[in-house]
Amino acid sequence: MDAQTKDSGHVQSRRAWRRFGLLVLILLLAAGAYLGWERGFREQPQPAWVFESAESRFKYGSIGAEHDAGVPYWIFYVLPRVFPEKFRQDGRIAPGGYAALGVAWEEGQELPVGFTKKTIGFPRVANNCAACHTTTYRLSADAKPVFVTAGAGHTVNIQNFFRLLIDCAKDPRFDADILMAEINRVTRLDIIDSLLYRFLVIPITKKRLLEREAQFAWLYRQDFPDWGRGRDDAMNLTKYFMIRAPMDDTFGPTDIPAIWNLGKFHWDKGHRLNYAGDSHDARSVVIDSALGVLGAAPADKADFLEQVQWLQDYLTRKQPPKFPLPVDASRAAAGKPLFDAHCAACHASARTGTRIPLAEVGTDRGRLDSWNKGAAIQANQTVAAMGITRRGLVEDDLEGYRIPFLDGLWLRAPYLHNGSVPTLRDLLEPAAKRPTVFWRGYDLLDPVKVGFVTDGDEARRVGTRMDTGEKGGGKQGHEFGTGLSAADKDALVEYLKTL
Amino acid sequence: MPTRAVLPPARWKRRFLILVALTVVLPATIVIWLLGRFGGDSPVDYADPVEHFKYGSTGGEHEMGFPYWIWRALPEVCGHLLPGKGYPSIGMLYEKNPDGSLKDLPVGTSKRRYQGVDRVFVNCAVCHTSTVRAAPDTPPLLVSGMPAALFNMKQFEEFFFNCAADPKFAQEYLIPEIQRQGVGLDLLDRYLVYPLAIGIMRDRVLALKGRFEWVYRQKDWGPGRVDTFNSAKVIFNFPMDHLDPREFDAPADFPSIWLQRPRREPRAMELHWDGNNTDMTERNKSAAFGTGTTPPTIDLARIKRVEDWILDAEPPAFTSLFPVDAALAARGAPIYKEYCAACHGASGRDFSGDRVGRVTPLAEIGTDRRRLDSYTYTLAVNQATLYAGYPWRFTQFHKTNGYANMPLDGIWLRGPYLHNGSVPSLRDLLEPAARRPAVFWRGYDVLDPVKVGFVSDQPEAGGRKFFRFDTSQPGNGNGGHEGRAYGTELSAADKAALVEFLKTF
Repeated sequence: MDAQTKDSGHVQSRRAWRRFGLLVLILLLAAGAYLGWERGFREQPQPAWVFESAESRFKYGSIGAEHDAGVPYWIFYVLPRVFPEKFRQDGRIAPGGYAALGVAWEEGQELPVGFTKKTIGFPRVANNCAACHTTTYRLSADAKPVFVTAGAGHTVNIQNFFRLLIDCAKDPRFDADILMAEINRVTRLDIIDSLLYRFLVIPITKKRLLEREAQFAWLYRQDFPDWGRGRDDAMNLTKYFMIRAPMDDTFGPTDIPAIWNLGKFHWDKGHRLNYAGDSHDARSVVIDSALGVLGAAPADKADFLEQVQWLQDYLTRKQPPKFPLPVDASRAAAGKPLFDAHCAACHASARTGTRIPLAEVGTDRGRLDSWNKGAAIQANQTVAAMGITRRGLVEDDLEGYRIPFLDGLWLRAPYLHNGSVPTLRDLLEPAAKRPTVFWRGYDLLDPVKVGFVTDGDEARRVGTRMDTGEKGGGKQGHEFGTGLSAADKDALVEYLKTL
Repeated sequence: MPTRAVLPPARWKRRFLILVALTVVLPATIVIWLLGRFGGDSPVDYADPVEHFKYGSTGGEHEMGFPYWIWRALPEVCGHLLPGKGYPSIGMLYEKNPDGSLKDLPVGTSKRRYQGVDRVFVNCAVCHTSTVRAAPDTPPLLVSGMPAALFNMKQFEEFFFNCAADPKFAQEYLIPEIQRQGVGLDLLDRYLVYPLAIGIMRDRVLALKGRFEWVYRQKDWGPGRVDTFNSAKVIFNFPMDHLDPREFDAPADFPSIWLQRPRREPRAMELHWDGNNTDMTERNKSAAFGTGTTPPTIDLARIKRVEDWILDAEPPAFTSLFPVDAALAARGAPIYKEYCAACHGASGRDFSGDRVGRVTPLAEIGTDRRRLDSYTYTLAVNQATLYAGYPWRFTQFHKTNGYANMPLDGIWLRGPYLHNGSVPSLRDLLEPAARRPAVFWRGYDVLDPVKVGFVSDQPEAGGRKFFRFDTSQPGNGNGGHEGRAYGTELSAADKAALVEFLKTF
């Protein structure tokens, strides 16, 4: 072998080594990229049981909120253990973890109704519509709760849920050492997941939750009362969260509504949705509400619109439950003509589903002031920019509230848009004689006055205090039928049980 | 260009070998030694299932284990925090070795070497094993699987928290005590492992103290009882100070855990006093939290051995200590059949009966309600998150509105009676509540063969003070399970016959 060939042999083998090294490097990078995708982003379908029935899908099926609004599962899991003092209600510590927030939670379920678990790289928890739109009620204090999907979530304290996540993120104990110590007590993450949690998932979650703080500043205003259980300052949520409007002084908390039987709304008959008739049709409301839950533009638009269609179909078909106790037929029959004479003109007529001027109904105006034409235009633009077409929000000055349909009325307490009147029977009293202070969110049914039990030891312990003298909580207005005799009122209430 | 001196190959070789020795062989040796010394995770095992039940591991030592020598030294160093001498003073039982000396650990504790330290913690037997005697001067018979009627769990917990907070919980006190016990700790243990372990253990116990603080504010449970489901709330770190006060002071008797199979087959019974779960494996894993296990550290293989054993383990017969009057018992049989069998099973081995293992509503049974109220719907749904991520996540816990009707196998060893142990004997239980003892003493292992239950009318015996059980205290109510249907209106002769029949269970 002469020197030259030896040299070229060297060069060749060096090249081969270099090529080999490069290959190894590429393979390593590819493996790293795959692992990163697998553990960080790979989307896995939810387990089959979620889709076993329409009910279970509505309760536990993901609508895609895990992408942006999702909280990593193990962080969500240990928050109640690390920060029990931050689970609060009316300023008091409320024991019981997430259950203390009044969520509907079925025995044996890993998560409350409306909380979805989906793996996108790692398991995450987010919400769907059922978190707010599931009613629980009980017929006796020692009975199990009955769950009614698409009903009003009168027990859930969503303001405190929002605050909770931010409060935890702000706490210096929200750090990898402390959270990992608690997580290691409940599960064994493999080395990769442990490292991911410690160095990425926990810090990023903290950062993202803190980013919400500015948008949610109005949740912490001392000059506003707490929403309490079952209420939602919905239009301000839209203003500050979706269109990033600057904070103003309006406050319009309203009852979380029942959303069953959407088929009753006919756009062409002038029916509008939301409390002030702010939205044109059911589809628009489903889209806008779902976007609120997602907290961002959908990651997969086609999938999102399919979900919306499914929800709309489900909610169109879903009917309210019948009153679960015997109704006195003869008394109800006596109530029917009273209903026809005093209620039907608005609640069972062509006017139903359309707007009634505020001057005519006279209820609290806080909710009206929390929304405006400009906001509607902006919100419509925001959604349009996502490439989603819908009839959308009404771009107009709205000076009145939509007259509600009364289907399933017995399960929609407390009454009036702002939930300021505990029972139907109370609503038939003049405003001055309606309760001034009561407790919301206890789920024991009051079958006589029709509504939930709103006072007494248990109601005070479980519920949140509602003071109708506070901002947005006025119980005035809708003084219709309030001059009837007591017997007539009772008969009318009996009839209302049948709706 | 200056030329360097070329070293002979031999020196290169030597340098290379030294280099290898320094960079590879030495560190590798150290690592292997360290792994051997501190790696490992090896429990002490027992081939015999009963020995395993008494001394085998559930895996609780991983998270909660006390270093063995600290466990041994604590009763001496913190003796002032115990009611008497050593662990026996809080009702722990020591068996004897074949040579007559006491075993080094009491029944219901297990040992595991983990992270280079022998650790000790409790297992199932600490709450489910006890002794019984025919007379004060006869030797005790140890019965595995019976309620630990002597073990005072509240004192046990308080002892460790108080001791950890005591100035004497320090190496200056503990290490000399360990050495006094005649142990030659090696240098590493003496100067590194144990000093470190003492600090770590104190921090751990004190960190948990906040979560267990509520225990101090509870009325004394006395021996043989535990506030099971308030303890379960600690798993979730519920802020105990803010719970509804009606949930507290809910101690209940430890149950017997023999003959589990007929509780599962042919029909799964409602387990726990309030019948909150029908799934035996969940019930077992739930109870295992009490032995310090966590989902990642539980030793399922070893717990399985206990689970298998309790399926068919049998209680000893009453006749192993006392005779039964067969004629009288035969007279009691039809009375039992008429009054008791529908809820409590056809016999001590045949658990058939429509209402056996099912919940009787509180309004009907009328016994003390605190244990029922301590188990809340809120707790039930939270329990459904336990073992999340594992195929055996809990799914069966549920809130009930009463107490479950229990089979009566080995009932003679299960006194005091009712879920809260508020009635000292079977004979007393057949009296209307107003005539049951309002005050009695728990914690004696001498059996009263006439009334059937442990002797309960003496505040102390043999130098040992018993626990004064006051039925007027919250959670201790002795009402309920009374009225014609419950046999409290039978004649005295019928009651005696019925009690005699129950001795055959």
